[in-house]
Amino acid sequence: MASEIAVQRYRAWYAMLLRLYPRPFRERFGEGIAQTFHDLCLERRNANRGLFGFVLWIFFETSKGVIMENTTHMTQLSKTMLRSALVALGLLMVPLVASRVVEGWNWPPGAFVFTYVLFFGTAMAYALIARKMGSWAYKGGVGVALVAGFALGWSNMVHVADSENPANLVYFSVLAVGVVGAWLARLEARGLARTLFAMAALLALIAVLLPTGAPPYLNRNMTIGHGVFVALFIASGLMFRHASLAGLK
Amino acid sequence: MTKKDTAQAPLTPAVLHILLALSPGERHGYGIMKQVEADSQGKVKMGPGTLYGSVGRMMEAGLIRESDKRVDPEMDDERRIYYELTGAGRTALEAELRRYRGVVAVAEGRLAYGQ
Repeated sequence: MASEIAVQRYRAWYAMLLRLYPRPFRERFGEGIAQTFHDLCLERRNANRGLFGFVLWIFFETSKGVIMENTTHMTQLSKTMLRSALVALGLLMVPLVASRVVEGWNWPPGAFVFTYVLFFGTAMAYALIARKMGSWAYKGGVGVALVAGFALGWSNMVHVADSENPANLVYFSVLAVGVVGAWLARLEARGLARTLFAMAALLALIAVLLPTGAPPYLNRNMTIGHGVFVALFIASGLMFRHASLAGLK
Repeated sequence: MTKKDTAQAPLTPAVLHILLALSPGERHGYGIMKQVEADSQGKVKMGPGTLYGSVGRMMEAGLIRESDKRVDPEMDDERRIYYELTGAGRTALEAELRRYRGVVAVAEGRLAYGQ
């Protein structure tokens, strides 16, 4: 038979769980919920039935309520942030798992934090820019541009760190063109199409003019890499152009 | 959820059970739970999270309201908040029961035809 001390201890823990409810809900119903929980515990105790499993179920059931109430009281922006944070966490699992299984992959904790921030920022940017647009062409354009921009920035950062060649920093000018272009275009499809085409042209120009210093057998891979990024920027630009021609923003 | 919507739209099982539990008169949270369990012959066990989440939404929709805060003479000496049906709540319950009766009539007719 569960003792009174056990009941009091469970009630104290339950009170801590209730603190996770949104404040207005907690202030209105917290006392009643705690009281009901106490009543249920006493009923079990008086019936000489075990408490632990029951309390576990109640904690689980109430946790569901906590999540639901918090979600209900969230603003649209908070929901977007939560979704972006979860998506970023899911993506972070890739390097996290890889670092455990791939030999020589030894990222310091700071690198994981930085990567998470990059994933989160990209997901938020996509959600905020694309969420008000009904056009799939526009959403697709935003998605491809962000993924390509993220991959270019990431691979370039790794390349600069490995080669210690500051000349490679010139690739960041492509991203700078993207940021400035998007700002000048006020995120309108026509302006974004031009921006993405400009990014593709600049990247192609850099690929042709910048001496890689790489051995010949790597040049082919680099050419393919550049070609893929140029193609992605052009594809994104074409999607924005399609959205623009469709009469959307 | 507006009051008008609530009176017309089908109710969730939790809301229906709470309305049914409160139809004879006011009850506190634990009392509602026990009544729901009794009404459903032990088939529906509602936890505090579901109960008070539903109570909150039902109060917002005007289906129920707080009636009193007092000691339950059959329990300990803690004061408990009691809830009761509003007119809109009773109307919603009656509408839901009419809807159920309609569904049952159709189902029974169909099953009889099938035999």
